[in-house]
Amino acid sequence: MNRPDLAYSVSAVEILKAYRQAGIDWVVTVPDLLQLAVHDRLSRGDSGLGYTACSNENQALQTAAGLWIGGHRPVVIMQNQGFYNCMNALRALGLDAGLPLLMAVGQFGREFSNLGHDPRTSRRKMVSLLEPTMDAFEMPYFRLESPADLPNVARAVSSAFDRPGPAALLIGHYTGWE
Amino acid sequence: MSLNPQNVCAAIQAAREQAIVVCTMSAMNAFDAAGPFPALTLSSVPLMGGAASIALGIALARPDRTVIVLDGDSSLLMELGGLANIAGSHPRNLHHFVYANRVQFNGNFCLDLPDRGRADFAGLARAAGYASAETWSDAADLAKLPASLKREGPCFIQLDMPATPSRLSAANPGPEMTDLRFTRMGDEARAVRAAIAPAR
Repeated sequence: MNRPDLAYSVSAVEILKAYRQAGIDWVVTVPDLLQLAVHDRLSRGDSGLGYTACSNENQALQTAAGLWIGGHRPVVIMQNQGFYNCMNALRALGLDAGLPLLMAVGQFGREFSNLGHDPRTSRRKMVSLLEPTMDAFEMPYFRLESPADLPNVARAVSSAFDRPGPAALLIGHYTGWE
Repeated sequence: MSLNPQNVCAAIQAAREQAIVVCTMSAMNAFDAAGPFPALTLSSVPLMGGAASIALGIALARPDRTVIVLDGDSSLLMELGGLANIAGSHPRNLHHFVYANRVQFNGNFCLDLPDRGRADFAGLARAAGYASAETWSDAADLAKLPASLKREGPCFIQLDMPATPSRLSAANPGPEMTDLRFTRMGDEARAVRAAIAPAR
């Protein structure tokens, strides 16, 4: 397959491995097209991680907060438009309540010509506005733009759970199936 | 005698034993008015609609503990998809009560729900896939609470009750929100976590 863009893909297996190594033990999901390979791995039931699917992103953040209260360290998978959908839950649970909320947010809709460039320069508002919106929420975020960025998984986990507060891992391209 | 937020909260307190309770809106206000806020209790505030999914997370994390959510009908309508999440995850330890007073801002300034009183909340939970769903409408039904909490969940109970009269008006305008309203959820969450989370 001649898909030069796939050089920017990070393996779903490697992402899940990095989660486990950083102490993540549960994944709460709302579908993200960029993280389909991650969804696929989770649905097989052998990831070694708890797995709960939710109908929308508010519910996913709330469920993750409950899991943390019960002693777990969850990550919430969503895509960028889902992030825009859950700002009130993020404000309440992450900012006002100060609970750890780790989100893995896929940059859905990103044009391939923007890969390797600053996502803030994407011509798609859904992509370019994500980081400025997170800046407005005063929350840290860490880009996963290529396999070289895998150490950012542990940095994002630490930012969410050691501060604690909301933090995001920004998935820049389709996660890899291999 | 009809159900009301006060007699429901008193019955929950009497029957809960070591259950974790997630409450919101009318239930939270009733607990606040009754005295010291109970232990192992968490308010979803200011986060209308959040109680059921927070309770789902706790129930999944601690399947050995009974988890009770005291929800509002207006809150439930804000996150109706949460019924499907609970049914899909099917936590056997989750008991979902909904105060069905058919208004928004109960007791402050009662506004009609968008369904105009037509929604059958227990029917929605049953259709979503809860293990059981029923409606209580009389204070005498609260005698069933201890046995109900022993049942295998997820269980849903719609609590039909009259709305509390509005207290806000031109003569009594809205109050300033206290800082506590924005900090209590985090403080209560950390306290519950400290009490129930296994040591890592």
